[in-house]
Amino acid sequence: MGEIKVDARGMACPGPISALIRAYRKANNGDTIEVLATDPGFKPDVQAWVKRTGNELVELTEEGGVIKAVIKVTAKK
Amino acid sequence: MEKVVIIGGGGGGAILANLLPEREFEIVVVDREEYHIFQPGYLWIAFKGWRKEIFMKPIRSLLKPHVKFVHGEATSVDLNERKVLMKDGKELSYDYIVIATGAHLNYDVIDGNRKILDEFGDFYSTVENAEKLWNAVWRTSKGNFVIGVADPIYKCPPGPHKAAFLSSELFSRRGLKDKVKVVLALPFPHSYPSKTIADIIEPELEKRGIEIRTFFTVDSIDTENKKIVSLEGEELEYSVATVIPPHEGPQYEIKPEVKDDNNFVKIDKYTSQIEGFDDAYAIGDCTNAPTSKSGVTAHLQAEVVAERLQGYDARYSGRTNCPLITDGKGIFIISDYDHPPVPVRLSAFKRLLEDLFLTTYWGAIRYPELWQPVFHAYFNATEPGKLVELGW
Repeated sequence: MGEIKVDARGMACPGPISALIRAYRKANNGDTIEVLATDPGFKPDVQAWVKRTGNELVELTEEGGVIKAVIKVTAKK
Repeated sequence: MEKVVIIGGGGGGAILANLLPEREFEIVVVDREEYHIFQPGYLWIAFKGWRKEIFMKPIRSLLKPHVKFVHGEATSVDLNERKVLMKDGKELSYDYIVIATGAHLNYDVIDGNRKILDEFGDFYSTVENAEKLWNAVWRTSKGNFVIGVADPIYKCPPGPHKAAFLSSELFSRRGLKDKVKVVLALPFPHSYPSKTIADIIEPELEKRGIEIRTFFTVDSIDTENKKIVSLEGEELEYSVATVIPPHEGPQYEIKPEVKDDNNFVKIDKYTSQIEGFDDAYAIGDCTNAPTSKSGVTAHLQAEVVAERLQGYDARYSGRTNCPLITDGKGIFIISDYDHPPVPVRLSAFKRLLEDLFLTTYWGAIRYPELWQPVFHAYFNATEPGKLVELGW
């Protein structure tokens, strides 16, 4: 079970969600993807993405302007 | 005299070659192609049936007489030895090198992508493929015409949208509005990479009956059952489809390793200098600069490199100016490293500016020094920081 880290801090919309999509292509079920982002649009984007794809959002926090999203990959076919 | 070798005679490479002063530099442009293509023209070939010759000119004819053109393929660049190895075995040495070979479109990552390219063509890769797509859309009389994207990073972000508007216009004119549905499938949460622009463009897409599928990143194409499957787990049927493939940087070797995971050349986003070298640059679609892959980027980076080679401290702001046209109107998507795309209004005048650009394009490549003041006046007047306050 791999852990993929994506640092999308400083990227403007849709940079962080694009980085997540690219990481997701390479991921397998059971992996976790951790994304760090500073673009405020990433929060609703990642929530919508998780809802649409059926993966699991383990953690979504914001501290000091940095949004951290941890996703467990469960919905890959 | 210092020798500058520029690999790639597209927009960036040709403008740079023509900007460098003859008195100071010996300039060589290398390209494996003989023709320079005005790439936005693919849309006009594919959806309006225009002749391909309008959008192509020999690279040689676009370069000033003192610029040497080598028609051949570079297979390896050695940044330490300052040498370019060519496919025919010849070697070119240099004092400065500029890599400007654009993005490589990889049709073999996504299952079925090459097959639909062979079958339907596209509005993205070559004039021949654009002609093929014109024939395919012209033959279509029912079903879905799907415009898809396989990776969120692709050149000309408004390209798929322009294709959607132009194809829907074509189907309407042929009286097939109710029979052929144009479907625009994108990896993003909204109908455009930037939400600000999505809010402007979405009502226009909807008005024309164009179906928008968000969070749809093409993962594979089942050509037998004519279905596209997304990474997000959804499906889409098609009768004709075109899918923008994943992009990569240069396929030839560059020593030492200066490419990222996708082969894009790692540069300083302001100076275009290749990481770790002060005599090597990369511009345009082949770099990892965090800005849109577009002609304007290549053009402005070429100006920056031309200035830097002459000893000035020029920097690229990350400015974009991507035109997005509907069937009668247009907007320019304007941003830079410090400003996300600013809200702008759709207008017929902006569409006119885009149409005018086609007529100025060849002149702007051949005589960039004459067009520079015109473009600079425009870019200064439309700086994103100003537009946020003034609107446009």
